[in-house]
Amino acid sequence: MATVVGGGNGKGDGRGRTVRTPRAPLPPLPRPITGPELASPPLVVRRREEEETVVTFPHLVWKEFLAGLAAFVFLLAVSIQVNAPLLQRANLAITPNPAKAPWYFVGLQELLERFPPVMAGVAFPSFVIIFMILTPYLDRNPSRRPQDRKVAIGMFTIYLCLAVAFVVIGVFFRSLAFNWDWTMVLGHPGLSSPT
Amino acid sequence: MSAPPKEGNPVRTFVDEVWGSIFRHGLPTTDKVAARTALTNFFLHIHPVRVKKSAIRVSYTLCLGGLSFFLFILLTITGLFLMFYYIPSVDQAYQNIKDLQFVATFGLVIRNMHRWAAHGMVITVWLHMARVFYQGAYKPPRQFNWAIGTLLLLTTLLLSFSGYLLPWDQLAVWAITVGTNMAKYAPLAGPYTRYLLLGGRQVAQGALIRFYVLHVIALPLIGFLLMVVHFWRTRKDGFTGGL
Ligand code: HEM
Repeated sequence: MATVVGGGNGKGDGRGRTVRTPRAPLPPLPRPITGPELASPPLVVRRREEEETVVTFPHLVWKEFLAGLAAFVFLLAVSIQVNAPLLQRANLAITPNPAKAPWYFVGLQELLERFPPVMAGVAFPSFVIIFMILTPYLDRNPSRRPQDRKVAIGMFTIYLCLAVAFVVIGVFFRSLAFNWDWTMVLGHPGLSSPT
Repeated sequence: MSAPPKEGNPVRTFVDEVWGSIFRHGLPTTDKVAARTALTNFFLHIHPVRVKKSAIRVSYTLCLGGLSFFLFILLTITGLFLMFYYIPSVDQAYQNIKDLQFVATFGLVIRNMHRWAAHGMVITVWLHMARVFYQGAYKPPRQFNWAIGTLLLLTTLLLSFSGYLLPWDQLAVWAITVGTNMAKYAPLAGPYTRYLLLGGRQVAQGALIRFYVLHVIALPLIGFLLMVVHFWRTRKDGFTGGL
């Protein structure tokens, strides 16, 4: 038996709250209520509206199964078509040019091109890791709605874009001696296909 | 689930008994049976019995956390297979990989799967982090789970990085040379860190065995432990659900 304040469909007041009156009469209050306490009478228990739920099995388990199956089939198809790279046997006497880090660290390599090593190799990455771990403790904004979080979302988006951009540059636009090179993507002028 | 039939085919009765001793529940015809299934099955009880409808929409999580976990399992299985053939010695490693590609049955496709799944996992974990951020799912009470997640991201990167060296080809050795050179730049500790990581001044046998041990034992264990805590916290803190 829920009493609804603020009108609505009998489930809530539209702001995610249902106001319920208790079934049994409460024991008498120890002292008269005065002042601010009146604003939130203790006779009413407020709780968030229950969201609609479903049983995990089979609803969620089924979706997980399908997702896993799809991922497996996709991976198998790729693995049948595309071979993992294997170059010549390692030889420390022959330095390939350019020598690149694995793609997820190529962003750091790109930073090394632009900043002093202590900054690029140590200060930036440490800062990113520490700042990331601290993010939930620094962000004091309780709302999860995107429209209330413009600054946080903006900052994170800039960070993501920079990270992706640096990796893309390192992988696709750096060739000999890690110098900038358009031709890997755009091809050589006068040649029909990119080399 | 059902009581064993009083008379009839003894084989059928036996099969029913064995089946019933493993699966203690029938098909999820009602919510009650479904709930019991989730509670009594070891592999299912990692889940809560009920979940918010909005939280399991594919469009909400994009399956990214789950896919990361799935890829981790797949990498463990394919990795196990690769370990049967791979010897972490500079004299043999490269030839082992060649044999995997050209001699061992399904060796090529298993190696490919291990490789592509590893790249895929870096991507799914990264995107999972982005989805958690954009939905503000790191806010109280989930702050600590975000921290665990950050460590998981690092572990994933290090797992991938340590595996990169193992084929012992030009790509491997030089990528690790460039990667570990970055460690050198740390003031004071830098050169020592690099030496510790490589077990020498160059990427050689010392580095190979260190990366191998990290790749097949240390980092997977750390990752697994972190995942256990990560899933436990996701359960205890509740799943965020729709905005
Ligand atoms: C190996 C890497 C990881 C695995 C296997 C993993 C797995 C999962 C899974 C299965 C969930 C349940 C929901 C979903 O599927 O999205 C989840 C939730 C979560 N993950 Fe991860 N995760 C990983 C890395 C990370 C990272 C890098 C972060 C952030 C830095 C993170 C933060 C979180 C948080 C805060 C939740 C709770 C989300 C919510 O309640 O909406 N995880 N994780």
